Amino acid sequence: MPESEAIRLAQQGSAPAFERLYRLHNRRVYSLCLRMVSNTAEAEDLTQEAFLQLFRKIATFRGESAFSTWLHRLAVNVVLMRLRKKGGNEASLEEMTEPDEDSGGPRRDFGGPDLRLSGSIDRVNLQRAVEQLPPGYKSVFILHDVQGYEHNEIAKIMECSIGNSKSQLHKARMRLRELLHEAMRDKAREDRKAATDSRGGED
Amino acid sequence: MASDDCKRFLNQLESWTEGERPANAGAHLRSCVRCQSVVADLSTIQAEGRTWGAQEAEPPEHLWSLLRAQLEEEGLIHATEADGKAEVVAAKQGWFGGFFAHIPRPVLAGAYLSALVAVCVALSGPLSKPTNEAQWLEGTEVATSPLSAQLNSFEQDPITSSRDLNPAVTASLHENLAVVDNYIALCKKSVQEEPQNEIARDYLYGAYQQKADLLAQLHERGENVQ
Repeated sequence: MPESEAIRLAQQGSAPAFERLYRLHNRRVYSLCLRMVSNTAEAEDLTQEAFLQLFRKIATFRGESAFSTWLHRLAVNVVLMRLRKKGGNEASLEEMTEPDEDSGGPRRDFGGPDLRLSGSIDRVNLQRAVEQLPPGYKSVFILHDVQGYEHNEIAKIMECSIGNSKSQLHKARMRLRELLHEAMRDKAREDRKAATDSRGGED
Repeated sequence: MASDDCKRFLNQLESWTEGERPANAGAHLRSCVRCQSVVADLSTIQAEGRTWGAQEAEPPEHLWSLLRAQLEEEGLIHATEADGKAEVVAAKQGWFGGFFAHIPRPVLAGAYLSALVAVCVALSGPLSKPTNEAQWLEGTEVATSPLSAQLNSFEQDPITSSRDLNPAVTASLHENLAVVDNYIALCKKSVQEEPQNEIARDYLYGAYQQKADLLAQLHERGENVQ
């Protein structure tokens, strides 16, 4: 059953059409939720909530935007709402980022040229660093660099301007770079300490 | 310490990563190791992000049954007349078609009979007269425990569990059996979480039926060889 037909039938309450739409999009929505919260039980809960909201509102879908964009907007909103509740406030997207103290932009420092990330990071490191990002940065980074959305799609999903999406993404990448460098330095320190301890143990 | 040229380059970095290439920025980048390091790091992060994105996770199967139960509870979905007929036909083919097809095999007939008895007990016992969750759960357990025990003992049967019959097909059947066992565990979890959810119970009975089907095939293969 093509997606457009499934949408039409789902609007009439057809159970198989709902299931078809669920099967078409469940992996992508679940992956998005899992990447945002890094917890399978919570990701399942959020996926269910996103689809519930979708199916509750499906009668109002008029096809002005792509169905998947609409669904992802709902999913991102569900996740952000959860993160806001966990954070104990009702912060806006702008407040969920981490502006530089002086200019509101990313910090303008380099890290040492000797420390390059190439060949030193893997998915686990990246995932840990992404977990530490503020929700706004995290959403844009995951949607663009991980899920592969374009800025114009992200602008629709996040209900912001294209320029805002680009700016958030750049800040997110720069913050990730800092976090990854910090992790590399910590690891180097630990390795040195372990080597020193093992030499001490041999004496 | 960053030079003024480096600061200017970093100010242009966002546009640079979006594909804009001003001549002065390019000239600075070629001569500055520090700025090259920043650009290389951002490329590495992007590349690692793409790798991560290529690995999509599969949500657990029980999520749909939970979602569907919720949608039905809210009255958002219904089976159309055509869907309903199709579902009835499928159900008949699944239960009765499967049952009559397997009647010549006495052990399997026993397993299927147990399944039917279990469903009858489930429908005529406390499940049809809901009082509280504990009773629903107890009713489901009363209905499924003997069936589960019988299927497990059938699985241990020397003919059924034989591993040396046409290895490739047998291995595939055993793999499917493991998948169905996993599915049964998930369904049981759903039933325990929502004992009054009819759909969750239907899925559990369906899962047991699938297991009986697979065991039937294994047993039949065993008998044919021996």
